[in-house]
Amino acid sequence: MRIASRGLPPLVAALAIAYPWLVPNYYLVYAGALTVMYAAMATSWNLLGGFTGYVSLGHSAFFGLGAYGTGLLVVRAGLPWTAALLVSSLAVTAFAVAVGVAAVRVRGASFVIVSIALVSMTNLVVQGWRSLTGGSTGLQVPSPFPGLHRGQTHLVFFHLFLALLAVALVSWWYVSRSRFGAGLRAIREDEDKAESLGVPTGAYKVAAFALSALFVALAGGLYALWFGSLDPIFVFSILIGSFMVLMSLLGGVRHLYGPLLGALIVAPAGEYFLIALGETQIHLTATGLVLVLVVLFMPDGILAAFRRRRAGPSIPDETAEQRLQGAAR
Amino acid sequence: MARVLKGLTTISICVLALTACAKTDEPGAAAQSPGQAPGPVRIGISLPLTGDFSEPGKGIQEGYQVWADRVNARGGLLGRKVELIFRDDASDPNRVSSDYESLITQDKVNLVFGPFSSRLVIPAAKVAESYGMLFVEPAGAAKEVFEQGFTRLFYAAPAIADDHYNYLADYLLKLPAGQRPRTAAYASLDDPFAQGTAYGLRDKLAAAGVRTVVDEVYPPETTDFAPIAAKIAAAKPDIVVGGTQFEDSVGLVRALQELKVQPRLAAFSTGPTLPEFPGAVQGAAEHVLSPVGWSATATFPGNQEMVKRHQEMFGGAANEDIANGYTVGQIVEAAVAAVKCVDPTPACQGKLADHVRQGTFDTVVGPLSFDDQGRPEQAHMIQQYVNGKIEIVLPGNAKTADLVYPKREW
Amino acid sequence: MVSLLLQGLALGVLTGGLYALLAAGLSLYFGVMRVVMVAHPAFLFLAAYLTYTVHTTLGLDPFLALPLTVPLFFALGVAVQRLLVARLAPENLAMMSVLLTFGIALTIEGLLGTFYTGSYKSVSMEYATRSLTIAGVHLPYDKIIAFGVAAATLGALFAVLVKSRFGQALRATIQHREAARLVGVQTERVAGYGFGVGLATAAVGGTVLALITPFFPASHWVWIGKLMAVIVVGGLGSVLGAALAAVLLGVVEGLVLVTVDATWATIMFYVFLFLTLLARPQGFFGGRLAHRF
Repeated sequence: MRIASRGLPPLVAALAIAYPWLVPNYYLVYAGALTVMYAAMATSWNLLGGFTGYVSLGHSAFFGLGAYGTGLLVVRAGLPWTAALLVSSLAVTAFAVAVGVAAVRVRGASFVIVSIALVSMTNLVVQGWRSLTGGSTGLQVPSPFPGLHRGQTHLVFFHLFLALLAVALVSWWYVSRSRFGAGLRAIREDEDKAESLGVPTGAYKVAAFALSALFVALAGGLYALWFGSLDPIFVFSILIGSFMVLMSLLGGVRHLYGPLLGALIVAPAGEYFLIALGETQIHLTATGLVLVLVVLFMPDGILAAFRRRRAGPSIPDETAEQRLQGAAR
Repeated sequence: MARVLKGLTTISICVLALTACAKTDEPGAAAQSPGQAPGPVRIGISLPLTGDFSEPGKGIQEGYQVWADRVNARGGLLGRKVELIFRDDASDPNRVSSDYESLITQDKVNLVFGPFSSRLVIPAAKVAESYGMLFVEPAGAAKEVFEQGFTRLFYAAPAIADDHYNYLADYLLKLPAGQRPRTAAYASLDDPFAQGTAYGLRDKLAAAGVRTVVDEVYPPETTDFAPIAAKIAAAKPDIVVGGTQFEDSVGLVRALQELKVQPRLAAFSTGPTLPEFPGAVQGAAEHVLSPVGWSATATFPGNQEMVKRHQEMFGGAANEDIANGYTVGQIVEAAVAAVKCVDPTPACQGKLADHVRQGTFDTVVGPLSFDDQGRPEQAHMIQQYVNGKIEIVLPGNAKTADLVYPKREW
Repeated sequence: MVSLLLQGLALGVLTGGLYALLAAGLSLYFGVMRVVMVAHPAFLFLAAYLTYTVHTTLGLDPFLALPLTVPLFFALGVAVQRLLVARLAPENLAMMSVLLTFGIALTIEGLLGTFYTGSYKSVSMEYATRSLTIAGVHLPYDKIIAFGVAAATLGALFAVLVKSRFGQALRATIQHREAARLVGVQTERVAGYGFGVGLATAAVGGTVLALITPFFPASHWVWIGKLMAVIVVGGLGSVLGAALAAVLLGVVEGLVLVTVDATWATIMFYVFLFLTLLARPQGFFGGRLAHRF
């Protein structure tokens, strides 16, 4: 039994890597890459949401900035795509630190409002700054692999997103075992008590915020290179941000594999709703109802139901005091 | 370590086993086995049936459906029935790409037709282009669409956005000096198509000395036009030009009335060409100008048939969006009939594209031909509401009434 | 230039009055339940569509829809609070309520799109294009009506809050829930009614919106950010603060609109939001409770 469960992650990983060769057509590779991208973003979102309990509906701001940053560096500055991706992601991380300092001053509802405002504002700025970003005309980013045909590009980006997902998962796992993680969990349970016990809550929150933004920005940058056309109202979309939240919540925010599982359910389900319920907007209603039901009846997510059995690494269900001791240790 | 090795071995075995069943690069290669009776010609289309662009999206869908109905009544394409497969892209470029990706590689459609809005055409055309599919589209009029190096994209309307007002610019600049407008105000939706139309006129008039006194861009979610109208009112321009879609053209007209702006000429793109416009602005439509690529009364081949059949199928008056959709069908129909193939293979699609590039096509918007980038080489007419009716006032050889200038107060 | 600024100021005040009405409900929800109701703008447009239906199918004046929509929305509000919000676990209420109401907003948007299609609708009255001119400043009649209705509704709301027993219980619940319960206020029921009143203001606001702007199912997104900014600047939970902030931001928006452009005018909302959080997280007019929640 033990061996079987140990062997499971490598097996799943092997299957994931092989996925593009297993499916019959390139559309499914494309859809797979999109799903893995969402999984990576939801996992990154969970670096903030899962540990601290701060719900950000605005992570698509970092997605969009990462995408536009990478695209602009490639198009306007002529940087090679790898350099553009790194520079832009680091710049977005720095931006996230600045925003984080202001944003994490407020808790709960105000924080959510700030995160919503962040998306709207970045959207307005990028759309309005026509001379730099192309505004509503959009930004066309040349493919980094001009020699490959479209299907092969999907295949490459599928694996790049997969690698990003792996890095995000490892980071979450590492944080969950670190003192930093213990401090973040203490913030989730009782921020005032954590502060009084000497946890540098402000710095910790900003660090989590920035780390989470970094991976989302990387996903955005890869998206820009892969997709090739950026349009401000679509990359700075509050819906993309809310998908990250929905996926994490559905899978379980306290679990390493929660957001991944959520993405594997939500992304294909979204495609299905759109095709099956196609011609009306009732698919929005379906998404909305799923969100309401999850919040009401499964706020801990699917994996919480499997806690007794093996659901992969997760945040243990300990009391606030235990956690504070862990943080102050 | 051993586990890692084991994992790697597993992976490499999987990979080796799987490369054998690598996908074919040819779209539609496995669509039909030889000897079988050919099924219907399936045409894949993604349209914004919901979301921001859903209104014109519906019009284009109706145009496609009327065309399919007509072509099937004539016996189909190369004797095969035409079947349209619609996907909703919810006005989202992610969706538009994934729709065409799945239509081409999964459904293996024979042909694809274009979506709506310049914002969605580029991502969609990228997909079609990379699979070598012919891509005739009804709505991507912004000049940027034709600067992406697409080789199989054609815009099925008389002219690109920047040239829509050409006849009006000529008319105004030929007026005697005393009547020529001296100042102009421009307000445009932040959208490549809408801006293209307004800026095409602005640049021509500005070059000839008509001073631009207001040049305003507003984001798509704008619903309150009073402040923009206030700016225009303060500048007291001779003419007002709106780069608009429907709802903002109505909003602008209402706000200009509220702020008592009385220009000598008012022109708006798109909005006034729709049948709902006069009702929505309640009598203020009189003498409003608009570029139009299609006329309900024109006798171009198929036009009256389309208007009549649309009335029967959908019960409403036809409009320009419907005509544009229908035009796409007519062009592709003519190309297929000439080249005599409808396979989704790059070879056949290439032949179709070559045919479209070199030919001139009789459509409901008049004869159309294309340049190397797929730009149509004709011009939009200018329409005006005269005595409550839409009349074509420019160019001279197509006019049904004389242009009224200066306009009546609204 | 001066007349243009005056015009911008006048339009800003009129729009600000409307913002005040639209934000009042948000303040109430936050006050009674510490809940950020993202679905409030979606309900506004639900009301706008109902008004549209009443106006077009029955041919009635849009305001005659109110006797139908106000009670309906009051009941809906009570239902949303009792059946949905009250079920959320208290320890993470602030966050979960946002997601819950976000889901409600998507649900409403999808239903509106299904029943009314995605195209723009508008209720256009014959006075819609006329305006009152005072000293060269044009005041459109539809905006004057919107301002008047907003002011009257807010006046009635304040009267209820200050004079009636229900209002006192509501304010007690807002100020200190536990204490209110100790002195015998049935806080659960009061919270339900608080939601009802909040949504009833949305019914009025929706009718007014229908009069002055065209709308389509996704229209509510624009309003979420603006109204959120209003209630944060005003001080979360303070109805009066939200009203003052609404007029302030309306005026700022109006002035920026006539001097710069629409993009900057909207950005000003977020600039004020961030400045408020940096300088005075509890808001400029509001009470002390804001930044805790």
